[in-house]
Amino acid sequence: MERITHELMLALRGIKRAPAPYFLTILILSLGLGIFFSNATLYYWLNNDPLPHKSHTLFFPQINAGAHEDGSREPHRILSYRDVQLLSTSDIPSAKAAMFQSAGYARLPSAEQRSPTPVHLRATQRDFFTLFDVPFLHGGRWPDDAARLEIILSKASAERFFGETNVVGETLQLGNELFKIIGVLDDWALLPRLYDVQAGNGAAETADIYLPWETAYDLSIKSNTRTRSEDNRNYNENFAVNGREGYFFQSQFWVQLDTPEQQAAYEQFMQQVVQSEKEAGRHPRPSANRLTNMSNIAEAFDARNRQLDVFALVSLLFLIVCLFNASHLSLNRYLASQYEFGLRRALGASRGQLQKQILADVLVSATIAFVFSLLVAAGATKLITTLLPSTRTLTSWNIEMVAVMALIALIASYVVTVYPAIRASFGSLSRQIK
Amino acid sequence: MITINNLSKIFRTELIETHALRDINLHIEEGDFAALTGPSGSGKSTLLNILGTLESFDSGEYFLDGQPVQGLSDAALSRLRNEKIGFIFQSFNLIKDFSIYDNIELPLRYRGFNAKERKQRIEEALELVGLQARSSYLPGQLSGGQQQRVAIARAIAGKPRILLADEPTGNLDSLMARQVMELLQQINEQGCTVLMVTHDPDQARRAARHIQIVDGQLHDSTLYQPLSQPLAETLGD
Repeated sequence: MERITHELMLALRGIKRAPAPYFLTILILSLGLGIFFSNATLYYWLNNDPLPHKSHTLFFPQINAGAHEDGSREPHRILSYRDVQLLSTSDIPSAKAAMFQSAGYARLPSAEQRSPTPVHLRATQRDFFTLFDVPFLHGGRWPDDAARLEIILSKASAERFFGETNVVGETLQLGNELFKIIGVLDDWALLPRLYDVQAGNGAAETADIYLPWETAYDLSIKSNTRTRSEDNRNYNENFAVNGREGYFFQSQFWVQLDTPEQQAAYEQFMQQVVQSEKEAGRHPRPSANRLTNMSNIAEAFDARNRQLDVFALVSLLFLIVCLFNASHLSLNRYLASQYEFGLRRALGASRGQLQKQILADVLVSATIAFVFSLLVAAGATKLITTLLPSTRTLTSWNIEMVAVMALIALIASYVVTVYPAIRASFGSLSRQIK
Repeated sequence: MITINNLSKIFRTELIETHALRDINLHIEEGDFAALTGPSGSGKSTLLNILGTLESFDSGEYFLDGQPVQGLSDAALSRLRNEKIGFIFQSFNLIKDFSIYDNIELPLRYRGFNAKERKQRIEEALELVGLQARSSYLPGQLSGGQQQRVAIARAIAGKPRILLADEPTGNLDSLMARQVMELLQQINEQGCTVLMVTHDPDQARRAARHIQIVDGQLHDSTLYQPLSQPLAETLGD
């Protein structure tokens, strides 16, 4: 321990000898690392599997439904009420839920004089919380998929409206209706939000309030992301009937199929559904069913942000350039202290002992560069989220990510230091100490 | 103590080869105090560096304490330098931002001594060179003579078997040079073999043995006459 402390003290003393070149080296290294970390963070979250233990069992079914025969073999990304009903009739999935995103205004019933607060809504069914492992802090989900004036709040919403989280049994006004709160979610954010990728909202924040999918139809609540109608009905009137009976598409539908056998069986089920519909004269478009796994959903809907892929690549190249420059500066610094390396070896230090000193230098450099690079990364992330607001949720760091960043900083510092240090520690001793 | 047989050293560049040492044969007994003299460029420093394992050689044999030096690994050479050899350089070679104590401590750390043992050896060495009160000073706060005495303390703190001194008084005035030479003699009297490169005949005469090197070849190896004899007679020219 005493030896390690001594080596670290020597490393710090080495900084004092030539602080300006040292901090210039650290600055370049930190800049490269910081820019790389900020882009790598976005890249990581966009390519993250948010449910690694079950994503392979979650599927997004599509049937090529539509009102008219147009020859298209590209099914809509959204389903009509009727399509959902048809696809829900199977007991093969261990969980299934329809959903769509909307928006509204909410307030406490006792605060009528105040302006209502805008909220993000998700109209969905009870299995949504099972499918995506959504944790409850208080209360629970609906007992079935029937329409009811009952809602589930996110933890943040409960705190925002009530100042506390245990608000099960309380009432909240949503639009013109009073809803009873039956559950409050714990902290939860699916990143990326793959269940909404088809609507281009993979990076959006999760909802504030969850209400029953059937209730949304009853209250004429429509999707605020993607809707499609293919008949002449007026969907601004009597939506509870028209929305359910007409060719009005707005819902996503997810199913959990735990085994390949269940998957095959559900695909067969989908074919039977389409066949039955065709026989009834309701499925004019060609049969083109799809069952897309969650892992492939971003590719399937071409929802990858190519800009961020390019940013990540450019930031990696920038890091490499910074490493070269920092290494060059480091080489000058080490060659300037070549005399001391030679002297130490003349006094009996082996190359191994010098390497320990170099490792202490690396450790000190890595620590300083890591702290600076986090600051640079935070600044760069802020800039990116300003330029690309949709990436706002993809900028958080967890412990594992910070640990990996620290390791990368250590490796980068080692790369920057090791070649110059080896150059400085080799060569004729007699010439080095002359 | 030291035996070298037919040792040669060639410095090569892309254009020329320079024979720095040619077929050197030398034997130095334990306890010797030898002065290595010769004109500039004669190869005396090269020989000293080879003896101190700071420089490799191209052919021949070198035995230190009966152990062949050629073929030793870097780690073994480092251990050899650290345990058996003490160096004194013309320009002192102290680390400027290390205190006197830290400078002397450096080779002892590489030796693996614990803090207590290092402290004891440093205090003994500083006492021998008369600089106990200056242990916390930086080299720049000392005179040239004092710095060379620190370098001597660093060289002897590890109790080496042989002390190699390259022009140890070259940067000192005559008074300080005499003090340093007296110190080297004192160390030699305590049993440490001393081999000193010098081109100063007065300093060379203090050594018991005189080894002369010219154009990379050992010309003479004689025991010196007493200091009272005329210089010209002593050097034989």
